[in-house]
Amino acid sequence: MNNLYLKELTELNGVSGYERRVREFIKEKIKDRVSGMEEDILGNLIAWKEGKNSKKLMLCAHMDEVGFMVSNIEEDGKLSIIPIGGIDPRTIIGKKVLIGEKEIPGVIGYKAIHLQRGEELTPPSFENIKIDIGVNKKTDAENKVKIGDFVAFATKSTVNGDWASGKALDDRGGCSILIDLIEDNIGLFYTTYFVFSTQEELGLRGAGVAAEKISPDFAVVVETTTSGDNPEFPEARRSTELGRGPAISPAHSGYVIDEKLFYWMLDNAKENNILYQIKRRTVGGTDARRIATTLAGIPSAVISIPSRYIHSPMSVLNLKDYENTLRLIATSLTKEVKDERTY
Amino acid sequence: MKELIKKLTQTNAPSGRELKIREIIFEEVKDFIDGYEVDRLGNLIVWKKGKSNQKLLLDAHMDEIGVLATFIDEKGFIRIESIGGVSPYNLIGSRVLFQNVEGVVGIEGETAEDVQKNTKELNFDKIFVDIGAKNQEEAEKLVPLGSFGVYSASFTDLGKRIVSKAMDDRIGCAILIDTIKRANPYNDFYGAFSVQEEVGLVGASVVAFNINPDVAIAVDVTTWSDTPKGPKRMSLELGKGPCIKIKDSASISDRRVVERLRDLAESQNIPYQLEILLRGGTDAAALQKTAAGIVSGTLSIPCRYVHSPHEMIDVDDAENAVRLLQALAEEPKALI
Repeated sequence: MNNLYLKELTELNGVSGYERRVREFIKEKIKDRVSGMEEDILGNLIAWKEGKNSKKLMLCAHMDEVGFMVSNIEEDGKLSIIPIGGIDPRTIIGKKVLIGEKEIPGVIGYKAIHLQRGEELTPPSFENIKIDIGVNKKTDAENKVKIGDFVAFATKSTVNGDWASGKALDDRGGCSILIDLIEDNIGLFYTTYFVFSTQEELGLRGAGVAAEKISPDFAVVVETTTSGDNPEFPEARRSTELGRGPAISPAHSGYVIDEKLFYWMLDNAKENNILYQIKRRTVGGTDARRIATTLAGIPSAVISIPSRYIHSPMSVLNLKDYENTLRLIATSLTKEVKDERTY
Repeated sequence: MKELIKKLTQTNAPSGRELKIREIIFEEVKDFIDGYEVDRLGNLIVWKKGKSNQKLLLDAHMDEIGVLATFIDEKGFIRIESIGGVSPYNLIGSRVLFQNVEGVVGIEGETAEDVQKNTKELNFDKIFVDIGAKNQEEAEKLVPLGSFGVYSASFTDLGKRIVSKAMDDRIGCAILIDTIKRANPYNDFYGAFSVQEEVGLVGASVVAFNINPDVAIAVDVTTWSDTPKGPKRMSLELGKGPCIKIKDSASISDRRVVERLRDLAESQNIPYQLEILLRGGTDAAALQKTAAGIVSGTLSIPCRYVHSPHEMIDVDDAENAVRLLQALAEEPKALI
């Protein structure tokens, strides 16, 4: 079965550093289907299943999502926020959010267009964007929220044919793929570690620690990545396009993907007629850089589901791409990584 | 030494695709070492036993900057991204060498004004590689997406000065090879030919973890100040000797490494320069921060036109770097 839990996963709130809900959800779903499971000090969830070969392969998807944190409560009861991860403030005005463990509802406010004087072209900054939780006094606000509470987008997921929308597809899409891989009883070639990592959006903080603990022979990062198939972009410069299959990265910021792992996935896609695309941009990084430079070096690769509008309150992916990503990883996991370097 | 430098610089091995250069380096050193390892990221680490229990690590990165083919249009024109610090300005009028084929670089523009504007505001969106293919299919056979390429630029011998692509950092590899061949080390001597420096010091950061040396020194190129209207705030001249780096924008060399190299150069009459580099960095930045911290520094070779297809160095600087590093390896004294 695939994408059993994608919808539920995107609706969970797990802003970087506050991944508990996502972790508990995943734990519950996979606990009877893995050989072992543990949670580390930084909150990474690590589960494993035995394979034919005792070498270790680590799959990694991050649980955290971009969001905000309450940084101050103003006299009028409005909340100041700081972004957690990379967010374009232009995408958040007027959106619904949930705040803190009690999930207090709020709205991201900004002055209405009637009150703007030639400022429409200037992007709003976090200095003057406030959250409104329906109170007029600081003391009333303090009864509901506290400084340090997380703020997550309150977006409901919808599915329309082959298209799914929701917040946090980056990287609940990857988490969902990992759960599906655990669910399906794949004849794993390597002993496989499924890592659901924390704080990727703040600088790849969780994955390296998990890699150091597991000390795998290779790692594959399963991401949800930018598409760029907006009409204003020429085709050549689109990072990826929806409906064209999983994106395999040859290189990205700070790391050139391990050659044998790159061809391991590419060859498996070709041999099994699985639609795929080569990612056309190298900007941006993933946990792969962090994992690759861990210990005495861990060869790493990245495969991603393309997604539009990531790091905003609403992103979109194509479920056929999801399916092809799952199929490609599932097929590859049954095969040995061949060490035939070419260049 | 020129022949070795020619062989190394004319080998094509961009970051992440270091197989060929590793094989060539291994052939050069294999009869002069006590052991070696190729680690999981592709770093080649070789060693010679000494008489003490301390370890000296010298590092030179074997990758070079390059490009990556990411898209081919229906007419067979290839779009590229940079691997490491390749300026699009250096690609205009240049050739790019992929594994199976060479291409020329063109620039978009409908009118002369377009071309002028694109040239002024050049970026990778505005350029393409033309390998003379008739269509997409033909181009994809020669350059499958995900192929890596490098500058196509020859080796030129101008006497003391030599010019080639990839002097950064094959000159460091040549210096390290000759030091390995000549040195009869007092301390255990490790030579690391590391991968993926140009994309973010990837190889060196795991080599140091693996070896855990007492002192580590990166051998790399630096920039220059001795051309018309060159930088005035620093002094780096070709032919004045290898540079003992004090500081660049990524690391401050450990004082003990600077003083040791300077004292050795003075006592052995080896010309040297003291280097403060305003912008740039070497593997030393990664080595220094590994594990519980490693005493690190850099010995550099002044190099004009760094990261262009035509990097120029003075061969005497390389020879003197070998003399200095050999003296360091052989000095019968604890490293720190």
